Amino acid sequence: MNRRKFVRNLSLGTGAIVLSAPSFSQSLFTKKTQKITILHTNDTHSNIDPFPDNHSKFPGMGGVAKRHALIQQIRQEEEHVLLLDSGDIFQGTPYFNLFNGILEMKLMTEMGYDAATMGNHDFDIGLEGFKNAKQHANFPFLCANYDFSETILKGETQRYTLFSKGGLKIGVFGIGVELMGLVPSDKFAKTKYLDPIITANELAKELKNKGCDLIICLSHLGYDYADTSKVSDRKLAKLSCHIDLILGGHSHTFLEKPTIELNQKGLPVLINQVGYAGLYVGRIDIDIQQGMVGRSMKVR
Amino acid sequence: MFKIFLTLCIGASLLACSSHLQVSSNRIAIGNSIAGNSSTDSIIKPYRDSMNLSMGKIIALSENDFIVERPSSNLMNWVADAIFIQQTQTIKTKTPIICLLNTGGIRSSLGKGNLTIGDFFKLMPFDNTLVWVEMPIETLAEVGAFVTKTGGEPLSNCTVQNGKIVLNSMPEGCTHFIIITSDYLAYGGDKMDFFKKGKIINETGKLMRDVLIEHAKQQSTLISTNEIRVFK
Repeated sequence: MNRRKFVRNLSLGTGAIVLSAPSFSQSLFTKKTQKITILHTNDTHSNIDPFPDNHSKFPGMGGVAKRHALIQQIRQEEEHVLLLDSGDIFQGTPYFNLFNGILEMKLMTEMGYDAATMGNHDFDIGLEGFKNAKQHANFPFLCANYDFSETILKGETQRYTLFSKGGLKIGVFGIGVELMGLVPSDKFAKTKYLDPIITANELAKELKNKGCDLIICLSHLGYDYADTSKVSDRKLAKLSCHIDLILGGHSHTFLEKPTIELNQKGLPVLINQVGYAGLYVGRIDIDIQQGMVGRSMKVR
Repeated sequence: MFKIFLTLCIGASLLACSSHLQVSSNRIAIGNSIAGNSSTDSIIKPYRDSMNLSMGKIIALSENDFIVERPSSNLMNWVADAIFIQQTQTIKTKTPIICLLNTGGIRSSLGKGNLTIGDFFKLMPFDNTLVWVEMPIETLAEVGAFVTKTGGEPLSNCTVQNGKIVLNSMPEGCTHFIIITSDYLAYGGDKMDFFKKGKIINETGKLMRDVLIEHAKQQSTLISTNEIRVFK
């Protein structure tokens, strides 16, 4: 099926998208619906306070205290919430220069982040600087394609983490951008960079085999590039098999709604990114209906 | 609110159960209407107070808006000149020296009025230090071609004409020239690959931001130079 047409159809609204019915009656099976609410940020770049009221584009927007209030409100309304960040937590305001990322980590902990991945700017004060700030974080950093085994970050990050929400198993992993040419080499030391697409596909398969119902990739690759040789979220989505959702960062892309790409199996993958500086929080609600056999399902 | 319906196969194989996913998404603006969480704000407050104390100090005045605009602009010129002047004012060498930085490294403009330490942190948030790279004279064309291709980078003591660096003064028989730049660029940042052909002769350890602050203090009122330094 023509992907562009597919995406266009989807963007027309709900009426245009109908899934063909399951091949036999649902009533034979237990139907159970679970709703998972995924909240996400990217490239918050040490923006602790709101933008100034005289800002030309985003007056008064952003700010951690307001973000926390919003998150708390959603947590009161929804039972199963995940709060994730796609990296570049550091760098952008004097809060970072003066306090070396400690306040950012404390506040993300306070807001109850469940996991984050590292962006290139999270290396800006070196691996030691990151390690020091990370002492104030009580959530895991997920980095599948940075091999830190020969650095002081050995054992400080993990490839993926699993969440159990409403009886569903959710696998989340992180994929970072190539550091060479982007970050001074003394800042990342002996970090080995692993191929993002191969690593993501292998890990997503591993998570699928572990029985994950939903697989989320926190990516700091960037949304899309004119130079098609560069790895991006859209490229990763198209070349993937088991990833359901890519929550991106790095390119500071303001997506009004998620982009859909078809993966290697022709199944849709959602990509989302919410600009930068904590001006927006992305919210994706997923209702998963279990217990339906759907071998013949297709997008019409 | 944006709604879509998807099918995603779940389970270990294609023959296992599938599930229906109904997905809706919503981009929530953190706008003025949201009241901030007061306990979160109380965590921030001591840090904010300390930051405002050190960042609020007024160090200079600008009578113009200083902006970044390729190929050349007053802020790009000011930053490159500041570094060139501060680094070379006490140095005597026959080898020509220029300053070359990256436009993307200037992270904020400077408004008209009083300038604070915080303004310079916004302009240059990165803790980049200055290094001196000695380049073979033959690379003038390669460096110039790069700057032409990007559309303009901050330059001092030279121009780019016909895709080549033209030094403001070039003594006869010189085989090398020196580029003062950031450690970020000298070590391969922003794809300035020509630095691989040079030799780092001085790691000053000086933060670019500190040098800019020093220059702003010395000028007291920032001198705006709009001259074009990169010609097609």
